Amino acid sequence: MPREIFERELQRLESEMLAMASMVENAITDSVEALKQRDFERSRELIARDREINERRFKIEDGCLVAIATQQPMASDLRFLAAILDIISELERIGDYAKGISRINLMIGEKPLLKPLIDVPLMAEKARSMLHRALDSFIQRDVELARSIPMEDDEVDELYNMVYRELMTYIVDDQETIDQANYLLWAAHNLERAADRVTNICERTIFTVTGEMRELNADQNGLQNIS
Amino acid sequence: MLTDVKRMAKIDVDHLYFYYGEKLALSDISISIRDRQITALIGPSGCGKSTFLRCLNRMNDTIPNTRVEGEVFLDGEDIYAQDTDVIGLRRRVGMVFQRPNCFPQSIYDNVAFGPRVLHLDTGHSLDQIVERSLRDAALWDEVKDDLSQDALSLSLGEQQRLCIARAIAVKPEVILMDEPCSALDPIATLKIEELMRELKEAYSIVIVTHNMQQAARVSDWTGFFWLGEMVEFDDTDTLFTRPEEKLTEDYITGRAG
Repeated sequence: MPREIFERELQRLESEMLAMASMVENAITDSVEALKQRDFERSRELIARDREINERRFKIEDGCLVAIATQQPMASDLRFLAAILDIISELERIGDYAKGISRINLMIGEKPLLKPLIDVPLMAEKARSMLHRALDSFIQRDVELARSIPMEDDEVDELYNMVYRELMTYIVDDQETIDQANYLLWAAHNLERAADRVTNICERTIFTVTGEMRELNADQNGLQNIS
Repeated sequence: MLTDVKRMAKIDVDHLYFYYGEKLALSDISISIRDRQITALIGPSGCGKSTFLRCLNRMNDTIPNTRVEGEVFLDGEDIYAQDTDVIGLRRRVGMVFQRPNCFPQSIYDNVAFGPRVLHLDTGHSLDQIVERSLRDAALWDEVKDDLSQDALSLSLGEQQRLCIARAIAVKPEVILMDEPCSALDPIATLKIEELMRELKEAYSIVIVTHNMQQAARVSDWTGFFWLGEMVEFDDTDTLFTRPEEKLTEDYITGRAG
């Protein structure tokens, strides 16, 4: 194998990306758990943690650019590095959604929640699971798995629609609930967007393996409040 | 579709085989060299890419004990037909070599050499031909003040551009370049690459290069040669980002060859 140093660098970048992904996975479910438990301290920690996620992203990006500049990658190596650059940007944005949910917890403040959260944690668990398997599909270069995950996005959309309808009934019944209902809807929307971004990661797996750039699950009509 | 490709083809190579004595050096090569485009040939040393290049203007004829099978058409005419005027063929299909091979004469005489031999200076004056050729080779501004200076006093990069000027002075249609930058520094290399892009407005160019990045930067089409066979031929963007053949992938990612 004439390019061992380069190979090792590619592997290192992949491991760094996985470590970043693992932080983001935790951030999704932890931010919702903190919201559910009304744990402000945890939310503040998560907001600080997001900075670390962003710093990791910049480090990996830098490593990819150095590899491109110094090693002149071609074909699958080039696609791999392009995919990493794209995936870390998706991960950072998913991390931002988790940070947004942490902020929402602080913004709702001491007021009790309108209702115990059930569907929102389900959305978080689903998004986390999709993200985890999307990264698996990338590591395994498993095109079939990458193609199958975006189909689950419909379940997240369905949960979002349920949360939306339920919160609307609160607003209709009592205008005092508008603020909090809005915040909770915002949190659910962040999770829905996080799942959408998992689809982009799956697209990058397929691109890395096949060189094919195609949108998966382009038909996103599942959302009720988006015309 | 096929007719379109044929119409765009300047050179059509059909099932070409080449032998050095008993040794098969090229096996069953078929390729269309597009008109006014740059075609790069890549592959490890000894894979046959230079041998192939020299088949396109019958430079291999000068090597004893060699044999060609198959056909090469220039604008539809078989260049290996018995009545081919080989000198005329080489005027139409010029060549630039690995190291600049200027004559030990003045800059002017180097460029004027071909037109004088071929008596091309009837319509235009020789001065005009020399100036146009040097301008087209992006060398005019550097040498116009003293065309009488010895060509060998130029830098290697300038000498190589002088060789290109000498090649285009006889108004060829195709320019074959055999590793034209391998003796040049990176800046001189980039100048030649820029020049190639300008030249392709008027000429079809085929370049053999060891430098894959050069092929990727400069060419429209790329062929990958391996052990005397052409493994893959595609547009350059596709070949370097998503080649079809595993061997091509292994070679361009540095894992084979």
